[in-house]
Amino acid sequence: MSRAQFGLCKRAGCVALVLAGGIASGCGGASDGRPVLTFSGSAVGREAEILERQFDRFEIAHPPWRVELRSTPDSADERRQLYVQWLNARAERPDVLQLDVIWTAEFAAAGWIRTLDDFAPTVVDFFQGSIEADRWRGSLYALPWFVDVGMLYWRTDLMPEAPATFQALMQRADDVMQEQGLPFGFVWQGARYEGVVTVFLEHLGGFGGQILDETGQVAVDSEEAVRALTYMRDAIWIHNVVPPAALTWQEEQSRFAFQNGQAVFMRNWPYAHALMQDSRDSRVANTFDVSLMPAVTGGSPTAALGGSHLAINAHSAHADAAFELIAFLTAADQMLERAQVAGQFPSRRSLYDTPELTEALGLSARAARQIIERARPRPVTPIYSELSDILQIRLHRALSQQQEPREALVEAASAMRSALTRAGLDGGTRR
Amino acid sequence: MPQRLSIAESREVRMAWLFAAPALLAIALVAAFPVLWTFWESLHRHDLRLPWLGRPFIGLSNYREALADTRAWSAIAHTLFFTATTVSAELVLGLALALGLNRPLRVQGALRAAALLPWAIPTVVAALIWRFMFESPDGSSWFADPLAAWVPIILADVWKMMPFVALLLLAGLQNIDNSMYEAAALDGAGPVRQFAFITLPLLRPAIAAAVVFRSLDAFRVFDVIYVMTGGGPGTATEPISLYAFTALFRELRFGFGSALAMMVFFVSFLLALAWIRLLATQESVT
Repeated sequence: MSRAQFGLCKRAGCVALVLAGGIASGCGGASDGRPVLTFSGSAVGREAEILERQFDRFEIAHPPWRVELRSTPDSADERRQLYVQWLNARAERPDVLQLDVIWTAEFAAAGWIRTLDDFAPTVVDFFQGSIEADRWRGSLYALPWFVDVGMLYWRTDLMPEAPATFQALMQRADDVMQEQGLPFGFVWQGARYEGVVTVFLEHLGGFGGQILDETGQVAVDSEEAVRALTYMRDAIWIHNVVPPAALTWQEEQSRFAFQNGQAVFMRNWPYAHALMQDSRDSRVANTFDVSLMPAVTGGSPTAALGGSHLAINAHSAHADAAFELIAFLTAADQMLERAQVAGQFPSRRSLYDTPELTEALGLSARAARQIIERARPRPVTPIYSELSDILQIRLHRALSQQQEPREALVEAASAMRSALTRAGLDGGTRR
Repeated sequence: MPQRLSIAESREVRMAWLFAAPALLAIALVAAFPVLWTFWESLHRHDLRLPWLGRPFIGLSNYREALADTRAWSAIAHTLFFTATTVSAELVLGLALALGLNRPLRVQGALRAAALLPWAIPTVVAALIWRFMFESPDGSSWFADPLAAWVPIILADVWKMMPFVALLLLAGLQNIDNSMYEAAALDGAGPVRQFAFITLPLLRPAIAAAVVFRSLDAFRVFDVIYVMTGGGPGTATEPISLYAFTALFRELRFGFGSALAMMVFFVSFLLALAWIRLLATQESVT
């Protein structure tokens, strides 16, 4: 509130003024006369710190704009629910949204985010899989901000190199558990949420299967898929390599197990790498490395492609400035800084040829790039969350031994097919 | 009674309506409007993710889909199972606690306050506490087994809600005239017979009230299960409210989700009616 308003407040009617001022600044009317852009996204720990720093630089370069951070829940599911509430109510703010890669098609199809076609950004430098996820019906709706890939974390003090096949992984995990007395062989995210789908996708690719085939048809009931899911289940209940508790674990629980030195292998996203290098919290600070997930003969090592993308609210009153902000945040300098501070992988390919990135990430940029190029996107469809929900339930039933893998996958495939038909999408879904 | 109301009387009636109007309006706005809106929504195919499908009126199709949906039926079965187990456990344990608290003790006030503590803890917090207690460091898990997963859920709910039942029953106990027990003792009735023939029959209204409150509450269970298992493993502990929530806010299928929500409403409404009936007949008996 400005001084002038404060002076007026001494008189009668000040309550109304204060309220009006509050409402104005609440919806972003500039308290100091500058127009405001609202940015909404994850601001956990170092992410908030780096965002503030980058916003400051943006403001200097783009007067008179001021950028405001509207933080959202940490959990991706809750963030999506909040976005849906805002966007469905046609709220003008936030102007710029951080979207999970799997939401872009949904938000674009619903008309909640604005196409970026009229800004005609240059996109050749972005990873193919990431930029593909930003297109819906031929138009571009978002730009990749950073990339997430599933990686195999392994202990350099327990083996000379990472296992290349799933059989070798199981054997190694079992041997080390016996010899060194480690409680867990392999830890991953098995709770019934998006995480279990990404872990399955990586096993699936490794066994030579796919969620949707090249023509966009559901293929989770293939023989390869049955073998992949059976392998995952047996790793828990027959080989005792994966702890049953992993069926309730998300990213952080698996990271805790691995960084406490309790596990031989872990499947996780890049964020864990930066955190586990800190020897104050981590017992494995200098004794782990990352590699591609394994595969069997006939399959290919696969990483699930995740990541965050930036899009503009369809009802934003400042679309041009919002695009300026997106262009700024997705520029190479800002990405490099983000990699340094938050350990997140840039989505621009050219950065992986620079020595700065290797230094920023604390791991070989070339190795990271190899993993990212192996990364497979999840189906790009507006009903992805429903397909994922269907799959999550059946995967979890099979993994907790309520259903045989084949039965679970046949059921999932048929439910996914009817969901696509009901939505009128059975022909037009891309992988 | 006169056939026609006098002017004064009809004015009084009008005034009465006028005075009642704000309350009626509030009820209409707060209770009736959302229910009717949800019902209207449930008659449409309305999918937020697929705006090109429009919002066509499809009659009872959503209900037909729900009735053919095995996930919905097992969700209802889970809800009934949860209601039956928790309410009966809370009743038995609550009665025991109420009998214990009904003795003249010097620390009575403190004891009663202590007994109420679990009830005062927010459900989400209580559920988290119980979840952590059931997570073991060796990698085994209660929550990975479709049957075992119910144990922490039911324990958490019983632990939390039992004091509420005890409090209701304690109020009922204190309404029983002590002279009855004295008379029974004179006639040579021991504590067991006193309990069976005096305490239990006279406590019936309080028990009935507790059962009504708790079963309606338990039927709409959401938070304990959402926090502890999220409905898993698979959907082995998913109650109908959680399924409706998923359809509405994760899958954004507003029509279908509203139909599920209406089914929850309808069943709890029937439960409430049945219990009220039961209470009424009981009162006419006593």
